[in-house]
Amino acid sequence: MSLVLAADYRVPDFDHWWAAIARDLATLPGLGVHIVVVYRSLQDANRVFVTIGVRERGPVDALLRSPIMFAWFDSAGVDEIPPIFVGQIVEKLNLDPDTLEARPAATGTRSPGAVMVGAIAPVGRLDRLRASIHAAVPRLAASGVRRFWIYRALDDQAEVMVLQEIATERQAEQWIRHPDAAASFMAEAGVGAYPPLFVGRLVQTIKLPVT
Amino acid sequence: MYICLCLGVTTTTVQQAIDAGARSTNQVAKACGAGSVCGRCKHTIRTMVVAAAPDPPGSKPDRLRRRWGRT
Repeated sequence: MSLVLAADYRVPDFDHWWAAIARDLATLPGLGVHIVVVYRSLQDANRVFVTIGVRERGPVDALLRSPIMFAWFDSAGVDEIPPIFVGQIVEKLNLDPDTLEARPAATGTRSPGAVMVGAIAPVGRLDRLRASIHAAVPRLAASGVRRFWIYRALDDQAEVMVLQEIATERQAEQWIRHPDAAASFMAEAGVGAYPPLFVGRLVQTIKLPVT
Repeated sequence: MYICLCLGVTTTTVQQAIDAGARSTNQVAKACGAGSVCGRCKHTIRTMVVAAAPDPPGSKPDRLRRRWGRT
């Protein structure tokens, strides 16, 4: 199964980083990376949330300490390396606003204008979170949540990364201010090493050639 | 999450070092190695050390100073 790496961090100059990113992307397939997804914060133009899909090839430790990984941050001008979430997907829901039924999310382009709310947080028991999310699907859909991904950390079975795609910025704001009880994990984001909630838009999904 | 990429040290391990008495980034490095190679993760370790520190007497609890994820 593929691994997903994710990090929330600030680059000194987003436009400069983005203009030069092709050079860095070219090196990533050497690590088994097949997809990179970049989101940009709505509140801080230089804050990004990057997820990297990796075909499992070897130990995670070796992947993380690879010079390619350090070069990724170096070329972006990032001195302080952020904590990196490493996990695997356990839940992928597409909340259809018409039928209000959950079904596996289809791949493809995300809705234009949609906002991504990202959280990395401890949740205690993952099975309970999943059950509560399933029970709350109609409420989530009514609040504008369109897609919902849960990833479980490899190093801590109680830690998750949750990505929520919300239809509009206004609904995202409402959702964060008044989250459903099923989304109580959002309150744990921003504590200690965990990054604050990320609210942003998709910049690009970049598929890389498999080597 | 992985805090120290050089040695593959996770938040759990760093937290265990803090729970065992580490009160600075150097003490965390001595306890588990995190931050002892390139040092570029020290700001995160510092955040965890600060979050674990008890609130001064009489102060209101600060959510950002709670132990990470485990109140």
